[in-house]
Amino acid sequence: KVTSAKDGSPIGFATVTVKGTNVGTSSDADGNFSLTMPAGSTTLVISSVGYATIEVDASSGSVNVVLSESSSSLDEIIVTGYTSQKKKDITGSVSVVNVEEMNKLPTSQINNQLQGQAAGVTVIGSGQPGETPQVRIRGINTFGNNNPLYVVDGVPTGNINDLNPNDVASLQVLKDAGAASIYGSRANNGVIIITTKRGRGKTSVTYDGYYGQQVVKRGNPWNMLNPQENADLTYLAYRNDGLEPTTYYSLYGSGDKPVLPDYIAPAGAKEGDPSVNPDLYYVNPNYTDASELGSFHRIIKANKAGTDWFHEMNKDAPMQSHNVTVSGGSDKNSYLFSFNYLDQQGTVIYTYQKKYAVRVNTQFSIGDRIRVGENLSYTINNNPQITPLTEGGFIGYAMREMPIIPVYDIMGNFAGNYGAALGNAFNPVATAYRTRNDKGLGSRLFGAGYVDVDLIKGLTLHSQFGGEVYSGYYHSFGYPTYENTENTTSNTYYEGSNWGYNWTWTNTLTYHRTFGKHDVQLMAGTEAYYETGENIDAWNRDYFSFDPNYTTLNTGTYASPSVSSGRYYGSLWSPIIARLDYQFNEKYIISGVFRHDGSSKFTPTHKYGNFPAVTVGWRISQEKFMESVKWINELKLRAGWGIMGNQINVFQNNQYATYNGDKGSSFYDIGGTNSSLVQGFKTGQVPNEDTKWEKDINSNIGVDATLFNNKLNFTLDYYQKNIKDLLFNPPLPGTAGNGTAPYVNIAQMHTNGWDGSISYHGNITRDLQFDLGFNLTSYKNEIIKVSNTSDYFFTGDSRRFGNNFIINQVGQPVNEFYGYKVLGYFNTQAEIDALNDAASKATNGEVTTYEQDAGLGRFKYADVNGDGYISDDDRTYIGNPNPDFTYGINIGLTYKAFDFSAFFFGTQGNEIWNNVKYWTDLFPTFVGAKSKTALYDSWTPEHTNASAPMVSSNSYFSTAGVASSWYVQNGSYLRCKYMVLGYTLGANNLGKTGIQSLRVYVQAANLFTITKYAGVDPEINSSAGDDTQSRDFGVDEGSYANPKQFIIGLNVKF
Amino acid sequence: DVLASPSGINALLIGAYAALDGQNVGNGTPWGSSVSNWIWGSVMGTDASKGSYAGDQQGMNEIFNYQSSTSNSFFEDKWKADYEGISRCNNVLKVLPQITTMSTADTTNIAAQAKFLRAHYYFDLKKMFNMVPWIDETTTDYNQPNNTDVWPNIEADFSYAYDNLPETQSEAGRANKWAAGAYLGKAYLYQGKYADAKTIFDNIIANGKTSLGVKYDLFTNFEDNWRPEDEATSPEAVFPVEMTANAGSFDNANYGDMLNFPYGNSPFGCCGFYQPRQDLVNSYRTDANGLPYLDTYNDHAVKSDMGIGSGQPFTPDAGNLDPRLDWTAGRRGLPFNDWGIHPGADWIRDQAYAGPYANKKNIYWQVTPQFHDGSSWAPGSAINYLVIRFSDVLLMAAECHAQTDDLAGAQALVNKVRNRAANKSGWLYKYKDDSDPTGGFSTTPAANYVISPYPAGYFSNKDIALKAIYFERKLELAMEGHRFFDLVRWGIAESTINAFLTYQKPFSADIATASKFVAPKNNYFPIPQNEIDITTVNGEKTLTQNPGY
Repeated sequence: KVTSAKDGSPIGFATVTVKGTNVGTSSDADGNFSLTMPAGSTTLVISSVGYATIEVDASSGSVNVVLSESSSSLDEIIVTGYTSQKKKDITGSVSVVNVEEMNKLPTSQINNQLQGQAAGVTVIGSGQPGETPQVRIRGINTFGNNNPLYVVDGVPTGNINDLNPNDVASLQVLKDAGAASIYGSRANNGVIIITTKRGRGKTSVTYDGYYGQQVVKRGNPWNMLNPQENADLTYLAYRNDGLEPTTYYSLYGSGDKPVLPDYIAPAGAKEGDPSVNPDLYYVNPNYTDASELGSFHRIIKANKAGTDWFHEMNKDAPMQSHNVTVSGGSDKNSYLFSFNYLDQQGTVIYTYQKKYAVRVNTQFSIGDRIRVGENLSYTINNNPQITPLTEGGFIGYAMREMPIIPVYDIMGNFAGNYGAALGNAFNPVATAYRTRNDKGLGSRLFGAGYVDVDLIKGLTLHSQFGGEVYSGYYHSFGYPTYENTENTTSNTYYEGSNWGYNWTWTNTLTYHRTFGKHDVQLMAGTEAYYETGENIDAWNRDYFSFDPNYTTLNTGTYASPSVSSGRYYGSLWSPIIARLDYQFNEKYIISGVFRHDGSSKFTPTHKYGNFPAVTVGWRISQEKFMESVKWINELKLRAGWGIMGNQINVFQNNQYATYNGDKGSSFYDIGGTNSSLVQGFKTGQVPNEDTKWEKDINSNIGVDATLFNNKLNFTLDYYQKNIKDLLFNPPLPGTAGNGTAPYVNIAQMHTNGWDGSISYHGNITRDLQFDLGFNLTSYKNEIIKVSNTSDYFFTGDSRRFGNNFIINQVGQPVNEFYGYKVLGYFNTQAEIDALNDAASKATNGEVTTYEQDAGLGRFKYADVNGDGYISDDDRTYIGNPNPDFTYGINIGLTYKAFDFSAFFFGTQGNEIWNNVKYWTDLFPTFVGAKSKTALYDSWTPEHTNASAPMVSSNSYFSTAGVASSWYVQNGSYLRCKYMVLGYTLGANNLGKTGIQSLRVYVQAANLFTITKYAGVDPEINSSAGDDTQSRDFGVDEGSYANPKQFIIGLNVKF
Repeated sequence: DVLASPSGINALLIGAYAALDGQNVGNGTPWGSSVSNWIWGSVMGTDASKGSYAGDQQGMNEIFNYQSSTSNSFFEDKWKADYEGISRCNNVLKVLPQITTMSTADTTNIAAQAKFLRAHYYFDLKKMFNMVPWIDETTTDYNQPNNTDVWPNIEADFSYAYDNLPETQSEAGRANKWAAGAYLGKAYLYQGKYADAKTIFDNIIANGKTSLGVKYDLFTNFEDNWRPEDEATSPEAVFPVEMTANAGSFDNANYGDMLNFPYGNSPFGCCGFYQPRQDLVNSYRTDANGLPYLDTYNDHAVKSDMGIGSGQPFTPDAGNLDPRLDWTAGRRGLPFNDWGIHPGADWIRDQAYAGPYANKKNIYWQVTPQFHDGSSWAPGSAINYLVIRFSDVLLMAAECHAQTDDLAGAQALVNKVRNRAANKSGWLYKYKDDSDPTGGFSTTPAANYVISPYPAGYFSNKDIALKAIYFERKLELAMEGHRFFDLVRWGIAESTINAFLTYQKPFSADIATASKFVAPKNNYFPIPQNEIDITTVNGEKTLTQNPGY
């Protein structure tokens, strides 16, 4: 029987093996086990996660094993690439995540749970259900896709979005080449190894569920003006320009002060005006004839109190998750079945995620030498998402729609900005409402089957075939709009689907023997991978009815409906995967890995790449001279070097020249029909036959320590990554035409940093124990080379500026903000005159103005190049969205049956481009809702210490016209990710209910955030979930904020 | 090569035509690369304001304020779109020799069309940027310097097309011999080779016909040029860019000009760009004899509704006007096609910023909804853009006659254009019923139109003749993307634009802080900075920036 030293409670699922053999079993839920000892063996090795592994003499036939809790995780068995090792034997850089802590964050996504839980991993997400967060292992390695490789139960995949967090048994992050190079061509961005749970012991049923409420920010998160204040601001802007506002703005009457009208449609009408007689009202929201739009008579009352568009779009929303797991097993066979249902309503209206996941994991032994098993999960996911961080999205509209516009007109149809010069944003509620009948469903079968054969003593063959089959389907309807100034008059139905599969076939031989003081583990194998998929998308228009039961592709009447489809396929072949681990006397460890990988993306000449790595370790604490140092339980130094590869950004047809065509870019109405197009072709892919692997030459040194009677664990790593032959598709010169630029091995990058963690377990009294944990991740990134012809490139969107403001420049980190540096405002005319004179002098009269449009209350930019005046050349680096470091803090307390834990995540030193200010704090950036900053904290001669330039109806180079440091804000924050208080009833208290244990808990997630950032949420995911995301992040243009979550939960075990 | 077949080569050629509209070919904004050159030719040439609102398309602001930095991305929009067009022409010429199953006539026809299109794209680059690198079907290294004038290459391609294209083609959109001739003449004209140009233009005027065989002539009515229903039978469309509505892709529906419709509660919705300037509107003032005020038109300003709300009363100008004004600029109080009376401020996004007028030449008609494409947030239409129309040919010919001292001949050509404008059937009339704009027009002219041809002997010397011809081009071709390039080739861009700024600045917020136009710098736009940077080889720049930038 295995019991805990702490309270004598039984320890289930402890691993029991006979030392030096493969014979083993595990304890059942009551801690009992039995096994037959092979002849000549007397020693058992008993281990369990969270306890110190011990060896006991079992020659007496019956043993009671008492395991001490180990705050040292060094004895855990860690699944690494293709093998497993004890943590104390690991010489590569591996972060082992505490799955129990991780699972406390209520979300459907493992990636979100990872945030702050592992040193070396940076996760930035959003509040949107199901949205893929940005996951970076040791920062940025390439200009394209920086997502890590996930290996779930031995199957490599790029996607774990639908994996059920409750199914995870362990999660390891392989960070350096020594750990990850075994994954060769896909290791560059780091590897996350996930192992799912298996059944053990007596049949048990567990239920884990929670229900909660997500609570959006209260108050006035965008700091918006009310309608009267907006009107005042409008008049102020024109008057500052010396213009009479009533000449240009008739909505607010003709008086000296703006007076809000009773109606905004008909624009400016007063109560009692004949035009607001409801009998005249006519709006047909489902009009099918564009010309009907002209006959609409809209009647919209002004919302004088102001519409709170933030809270019209952001509502408190419930979420719940229910998970049932049935599992059991003996030393021969095991099974686990789990079912998860998650229903998370988004806090932005009409967004949600409903997910159903089932998992079946089984293993059977055939005789003593053969084990077969499978791990399979099937997921159905219904998850409509919106695109945040864009001017034209639900959230972008909400921050721009003027508060005088109500949500609905007098008859309950949507109100909007039609006709009254109230800007061009769409009614966001209408936009969201129109997606209500859009449906989409994705499903995925993921898993593997395997067989293990013990060939001879110490030699095991493992053969596994796994992968995924997925499909997705969606349809949506684009309604005509009638409430806006800029209406879409057509109606369009979209439908599409995709499917695909990939498989990985892995065969390995592992040999593990101990010869005296020598411990040798050898692994060799091969792997093959194949992927394929297809998609089809179609649309039709001009529907007689918009009833969702009527609209199909064939009921539209458009003359040229469109269908497009595509397919892809590719393969990888790895003839050699090899690994050698050698230990001498449990002191000196050397480990080497080698992988030879081939990819169909490259020409035969460049198909194969080699990815070696070597690591060494020295367990100093095992040395004789350390025996006297009692406070050191374990001390290990590690160092490693190796090469990891990358090819994820390259497309299959990179090596081929293609022509292609589509209606928009290469079809032409050569016949002059006015209504039909003839097929034409253009250059598609521009080929490069010399493209080969990207190489990340990686070195790492680290130290692991366990101190003070195993109470303190400590790990620290320093790493350097030199990315050579970085695959990049530098833009072709315009003269080459607009074909797709090929990926070439041209760029170089350097990244280095520290990551580490420290944890402490202590007792205050026998009943009151605590755990403290802290981990830290840092990376510093520098671009060494971009291409042969240029030392920079811009990425992202220029938004509303004339120039892009995200630059990737040699000598700088990726994705840096770029523009004019604001020194302050021009506060006096004398100041402007003096600068102009100085400019004239410096240029011998060639340039007579220091800065274009220099004027009182406008930005004074820095003359960076010192030539006396402001030009294009004065643009400089004005902000870095890469954090100096991110960190996580875990605090745990247990008192008798109560448990309390809290987790904090922070990021430090990153900057955010707050593009929301562009819309809300500047007046001429489109008519729209403006902020209190614009009205009350903008520059005036009396208020020069202002947050915004002088209000004006015109946009200048020296105000809103160009990208400047005015938008850049400190993005550091510390967030309480969760606090949980739980109470556990053990079997003793539950009598004969059949319940073994029961825990109830209350939890608050995202409870508070400490930040100087002025926006709604400092956590800004990248704006696109595509492979360019690593080049365009940290720009806030209306984010899907992380809501507070209040949860009550229940864990029951039968 | 799968495209080395008659149908394959034709598809490549269609691809080369498809780049004409500038849409979805260079990855830039639709506006910078629009074939209509509304920014480059017309906004820069003082025809129009950018329009709309200060904060909208801010990147254009510094350009039309003559303050642009070289990194402004609008320049590269144009550059990339034209070179993509060139690349598609080169694809045709590269693959063509591999085809052995086609008749010599067909092969020559295809090669000549490809060269015609290539020369068109280079012409566009030439007038925008002056010094540009030459890339043809033999080029393999695309880092080519811009140190050689491409006029000889453009002439060579157009000459080949003029010598080898058939007079008629099977399809309306294909260029024929006469289109090539007109463009070759234009290339000569831009270089001041007036005698060469004159020979060609005279031949075209005498013998030219459209690809469908319609003899070149002026449409009876000026406005017919912007009516898709008349495009097939147009005698005036020398080189049209074919547009479509509702053909499954908005890119082919004048995407590059989608912003250029009245705003507010207009039936178009968006976006209030491209508003004719007061200076342009004043140009249509005529004297008692129906002739323009060549120098003093701004002293006879047309009354505008600037600063007058739509709810306040306004009576339109009652003075003498050239009737082409009201097919060029939408004015308050007059019929706006069949969409109703233009209400003034209600259809204008920001009068203080960009004035009270609306663009009119790209406005589709309510009675022909099939030519309107409503599939995007702003309108599209099937109205073709005419790169060269016959009245342009007449006026270019007039210039050549004047330059070669045939003043009477020049005046006759100008008067041919004016006579068409004077034809009453082509004037704008008041609606029969203002509340029923699709119910047809009355017989009462919408304004006081007074226009006459120049009286005999008016072109008494070369200076007067040229001044009148230049002014006629302004009136006839306004808002069609030509004016800036005309001003530059005439050598009067600096004086004309600075005079315009002096007049217009005080009441146009969009140019309130504009810089002076400085020649020769501002005669050409800067080589896009990014193109210079990405063609820098071993630290040596391949491209040389234009002087002054």
